Amino acid sequence: MIDFLVAVLRSGTPLIYAAMAGMLAQRAGVWHLGLEGLMIMGACASVLAAAATGSIPLALLVAIGVCLVFSLLFWVVIEKLRASPIIAGLGLTGLGLGGTDLAVQAVYGTQGSVRAPIGLPHPEGFGAFSSLSILVFAMPVVVFALFLLTRRTRFGLRLAACGEHPFAARSVGADPGRMRLIALLLGGVLCALAGAELALGSLQIFSINMTAGRGFMAFSAVIFGAGHPIGSAAAAVFFSVVEALGIRAQLSFGNAVPHQLLQMLPYIATIAGIWLSGRLRGGARAPSGLGELRDA
Amino acid sequence: MNSRLVVVLRALAYVVVALVLVGIVFELMGFSSLLMFRSIAEGAFLSKSALLGSLRWAVPLFLSALGVLIAFRAGFFNVGTQGQFYLGAIGAATAVHWLDGAPAFIVVPAALIAGAAGGALWAFWPGLLRVRSGTDEVLTTLMANFIAGLFLIYVTSGPLKDPTGTGELSASKPVAAAYRISTSSGLSPLIIAIAVASAVLVWVLMNRTAFGVLSGLAGRNPVMVTWQGARLSRLGLAAFLLSGLFAGLAGAVEFMGPSGRLVSGFMPAHGFTAILIALVGGLSVVGVVGSSLFFGGLASASLYLPIIAGLPSAAIDVINAAIALFITARTGPRLRFLSRFRRKEAQS
Repeated sequence: MIDFLVAVLRSGTPLIYAAMAGMLAQRAGVWHLGLEGLMIMGACASVLAAAATGSIPLALLVAIGVCLVFSLLFWVVIEKLRASPIIAGLGLTGLGLGGTDLAVQAVYGTQGSVRAPIGLPHPEGFGAFSSLSILVFAMPVVVFALFLLTRRTRFGLRLAACGEHPFAARSVGADPGRMRLIALLLGGVLCALAGAELALGSLQIFSINMTAGRGFMAFSAVIFGAGHPIGSAAAAVFFSVVEALGIRAQLSFGNAVPHQLLQMLPYIATIAGIWLSGRLRGGARAPSGLGELRDA
Repeated sequence: MNSRLVVVLRALAYVVVALVLVGIVFELMGFSSLLMFRSIAEGAFLSKSALLGSLRWAVPLFLSALGVLIAFRAGFFNVGTQGQFYLGAIGAATAVHWLDGAPAFIVVPAALIAGAAGGALWAFWPGLLRVRSGTDEVLTTLMANFIAGLFLIYVTSGPLKDPTGTGELSASKPVAAAYRISTSSGLSPLIIAIAVASAVLVWVLMNRTAFGVLSGLAGRNPVMVTWQGARLSRLGLAAFLLSGLFAGLAGAVEFMGPSGRLVSGFMPAHGFTAILIALVGGLSVVGVVGSSLFFGGLASASLYLPIIAGLPSAAIDVINAAIALFITARTGPRLRFLSRFRRKEAQS
């Protein structure tokens, strides 16, 4: 049971950090499909920096820097050039998947995976939970802090106002463009942490396409969780429970059922999740200003 | 100026912006971007064999892009082209497997139909979820891509596995020569005919039928179409079905033609490129013909890049992604001094 909980926390934490990034963007009215790309950039940058410098704080800073730059680029493209956030987000994801492949080959001259000499620190004295990194332990704090930020502060209300009705938000003096910038940049930091946890949390390795759709899953968790921080985190946990169950099932009756079919489980659960969230709330309920990045 | 021309010029301008940006990034990474662009041009367009290679990659992309065009025009972001393409290839492979030994004039059409049906089926359920429950089709079709990718691995390492295969990647048995619709060069009269017929069919469908007109209107203003008395859900489902049908057909053509066998994880960027082609082509059939030649060239060049310029083929993925980032931009940068200038112009 404890083992199962540890497995869920390990696979769920990157998902939750990315989902928090998606949640912030969602509340600001941006349909953020670039999570996957930012996540893999964070994973790649943190491993390459850890291998180059041998320092974990530096690796995290580099990952955060890279994700901030690309979040800024995403913001410029959708806000200033008024591109479709869906297509631009997919472009950002493609940039991440292809760019990290390229970066690994530029640095190491080979295709495949890169090992980091060090990983994220693991706190001592928690029994089985000591195999988890500090980012797992920090996760509940981050989720709660984001809950307070988005639901209990003036900033959070303004953010939601910019997502729901940019025109009204503007009339009370909130600049929707700037609020989206803040939300996307904060999201960039969270995606960098998600990627770093994925790559340096327990395996200390980066491999091509290692995110395997987790960014999209995190985005679905935001939809399933109705854009609420705790709801989105809970949805992300649900998806990783399904994934952990799938891995369990592969171990126990992998010979009877082809394991590729079991690997489909998280994706199927995701589809079921977003379908249910639409059903339960009578149609997809997204912020009404979502996708229309008009300021006036 | 003609508004359509503006759309095309703007698309071209953003393609150039993306290429320049990628060039700068490559220089920073220590690759020579000039060498890269030159080798792309040579590998894709500057010789007869290069042009034929580009055409080979352009045809399946073109068919998939037609599917994207139909869905996008109707206002549905069907980004599941990759999965529908895979299911098309799997459908065709299943048909060939079952009908093994039958004469070619039965097997080839049956496989093409099975492929189209497979793709249509894989687009149908996200469409159904969309029109019935309002489930966001972007997410369902994205997830469907991952499921289709896993299904392809399952099929090629299970039911359709080539027992004599020794390679690292699992693959199906090669298609018997009698059933191949082209050699590995990827071009044959039949394939060209399929592409041309599809182009004409989609053009007529989108421009000369009630479906085309209504779905185009539905994409812009669904409420109005409902007031006009059209059944929006039926229209949407038809758009999804047709969209998947063409992606599936592309999969079948690729499997029976140039590829000749089912390999797990083949052409992973196909669906994404098809979406780009449809967008760069301004969602018009004529535009898509032109843009699929361009992206077909890029796809063809990606095979030569490692040989000519010593660049990883992922470079092409990065170029495509950069184009995707910019291609839907609707305005230029809104610089403050420019808008002031325009206001003065309007006042005078």
